[in-house]
Amino acid sequence: MGKIKVATQWLEACAGCHMSFLDIDERIVEFFKHVELTSSPITDLKHPPEEGVDVGILTGGIGNEDELHEAQEMRERAKLLIAMGDCAVFGGICTMRNFFPTAEVLRRGYIETESTVDGQIPQHEDLAPLTDKVSGVGDVVPVDIYLPGCPPTADAIWYVLTELLEGRMPKLEGKVLKYGMDGG
Amino acid sequence: MSEIHLKINGQEVTAQSGQTVLEAAKGAGVEIPVLCHHPALSNWGACRMCVVEVEGMRTLQTACTLPAADGMVIKTHTEQTFNIRKFVLELLFSERNHYCMYCQMSGDCELQAQAYNHGLDHWTYPRPYEKQEVDATRKYFIMDHNRCILCTRCVRACTEIAANHTLGLRNRGAETMISADLNVPFGESSCVECGTCLQVCPTGALIDARSAYGGREKDVTHTQTTCMQCSVGCDLDVVTRYKRLLRVDGVWDSEPSGGLLCVDGRFAPLYETRKRVVKPLVRKDGKLTEASWEEALGLVANALKGDTCQGLAACATTNEALAAFAGLMTQLGGQAGRLEPVAPTLGYGVPAKVTDVLAADFIIVAGAQPLDYQRVVGYFIHRAADQGATVAVISDSENALSKRAALTVASAQAGIVAKAAADARKIVLVYSVGLKPEVIAALKPLGDKVSFLALDPARNGKGAEAVGLKPQSPVKTDVAYILLGEQPVADALHVPAGFKVVQAAYHSTLTEQADVVLPTPLWYERTGHVTTLDGVIKPLQVLLPAPADVRDESVVLEQLAALLR
Ligand code: SF4
Ligand code: SF4
Ligand code: SF4
Ligand code: SF4
Repeated sequence: MGKIKVATQWLEACAGCHMSFLDIDERIVEFFKHVELTSSPITDLKHPPEEGVDVGILTGGIGNEDELHEAQEMRERAKLLIAMGDCAVFGGICTMRNFFPTAEVLRRGYIETESTVDGQIPQHEDLAPLTDKVSGVGDVVPVDIYLPGCPPTADAIWYVLTELLEGRMPKLEGKVLKYGMDGG
Repeated sequence: MSEIHLKINGQEVTAQSGQTVLEAAKGAGVEIPVLCHHPALSNWGACRMCVVEVEGMRTLQTACTLPAADGMVIKTHTEQTFNIRKFVLELLFSERNHYCMYCQMSGDCELQAQAYNHGLDHWTYPRPYEKQEVDATRKYFIMDHNRCILCTRCVRACTEIAANHTLGLRNRGAETMISADLNVPFGESSCVECGTCLQVCPTGALIDARSAYGGREKDVTHTQTTCMQCSVGCDLDVVTRYKRLLRVDGVWDSEPSGGLLCVDGRFAPLYETRKRVVKPLVRKDGKLTEASWEEALGLVANALKGDTCQGLAACATTNEALAAFAGLMTQLGGQAGRLEPVAPTLGYGVPAKVTDVLAADFIIVAGAQPLDYQRVVGYFIHRAADQGATVAVISDSENALSKRAALTVASAQAGIVAKAAADARKIVLVYSVGLKPEVIAALKPLGDKVSFLALDPARNGKGAEAVGLKPQSPVKTDVAYILLGEQPVADALHVPAGFKVVQAAYHSTLTEQADVVLPTPLWYERTGHVTTLDGVIKPLQVLLPAPADVRDESVVLEQLAALLR
């Protein structure tokens, strides 16, 4: 049997979910016996291959046009899409800005913060414009598996991955279903 | 009450008539999920988490409000009930801010636990992202409306348990908010900071400033002990972690308070700012200097030998310490008394228990200010008034209870109260040290119809009474031995004795005058017993270790007794 192709990407996230993935420790050896990682935020190849992957894993919310595009691309190229972590599932901590108008958030962040001198709001054609509100991945593309947690524990991540490797659809409940840091 | 029989999930269940389906199920070991229900509060039936299927009824019923009836056939966990509950949870999560990753309740939240139990791994409804207010105007706890699910547990706690009527709902529909009085900040409201609402809140909406983020249930230790802040002696459930007091909760099924506490019992001990005495101190060259126990006790024993001595105890310590104190004074042939005054005796009537206040239809409050000094008794009076009891205050100065009293009269007019009470079914007279002889005389016609509750102004006055300590003023003797414990001292207290020994937990104007200061533990650093207003002997537990050089008073007093034998 050939290896299962997995691609992953982080969107509006802190990288904590990917750190938690690394917390599966030596189980990663077993993991890579069965899996080919085609692309990830920390490898040279960032984008999932055009010919597609079996599983796409997204962490982080959707907060700008680029992240929206990345999510759409992953959805198109992955047979099965996992939203991993509270940001990808619910929008997470990044949604704190949703309680304020975007202009006010930018002004506060780039101009008014106490440590800022002569600040200005960055504007450049290469910079992706912010979406009006931060949302979860499931709000912009269909998601197959939701794995909440801030971050999800290594055990929860391992559970989901091994279930998939065994050809089963993971069912999030009990110890592997936690929001926030509750799993720790 | 009679026995009834019903069937729950196929199981034959015996229950009592008058029970709800929720209670009947619980009795049979079937847990029905709830959110707005709390066993200490009336049932509201609004959150719809507890819906069950009842044979013969077309719609789902709320188990918390449905009276159990003979022959009922009930299903509590079906696909339909599961889906409804999950739907309710989805709606609750979609209304305000339930991002658990920055909520101090995460891990201990009842809403979150229900979401886990119902496999809520994502939300399907859009969120409005409306910013709600956070009200931090009270000292001890914060209200974050963003986390509130409008279950009204807090409102019912404030109304039914604290009988303070601060909380209510304002607006309707999606605009509904918990609010204080006529929508004022909590810090400016009628709230008395009893914290009952805080204890019953199922979510992270009410935030205890001290224990927030201090540890989850799985990390902390709970110890049941007795409040030492006044003579009522409420049961406490104290939460500790890493040698730190985190929080104090009430104990629901305890006598007399039934879970109600006051600000003094729940919060004050966690915010103590007085400076602790941690080592024995002796006066050398006019200055208090640290000494060994051996040296300090030697000095005290020497001073006590042969000289005239007066022992004065603040009744703020254990029965054991008070007994050892009285014993030492007897051994020395000195005089011994208590610092605090006592309430006078009536000469008529029968003694009442604290909970009798709740059953009274006429309550007379005379020479006492329970709302300030034995607050739970004050709240009980409010509760009785809510249930229709007449409250009459006899007072020559302002009394906070007058606000809810049907009449307030001066001592000289006490006869009016006696007349008004004449036809009452159950009269409880709550009085304290301010009760005047003319009031005792004026109420005498009520005779043994009166159940009386004499509020002792000292924390463990009953314990002092048991060992025969009566009020005394400081007199001129060679030596004064003052058992102060944690009691704050009035600046006016002047002790004329030549040599002063003060056994105290904190520095004060009294320790400043002392020749020897002996450090004592706090109520939560020791074992022993206290006697409550109801005469019940309750234990104290060690919650935190005392500083190394602090010794229990009874141990020290026995060491002294041995030195002097
Ligand atoms: S109140 Fe409960 S459900 Fe809401 S954010 Fe806090 S822990 Fe989560
Ligand atoms: S503050 Fe807490 S107890 Fe009060 S309604 Fe909101 S969630 Fe319920
Ligand atoms: S602390 Fe007590 S008085 Fe204040 S709102 Fe809560 S229950 Fe009411
Ligand atoms: S009423 Fe007295 S015993 Fe009860 S909590 Fe308040 S201070 Fe403690």
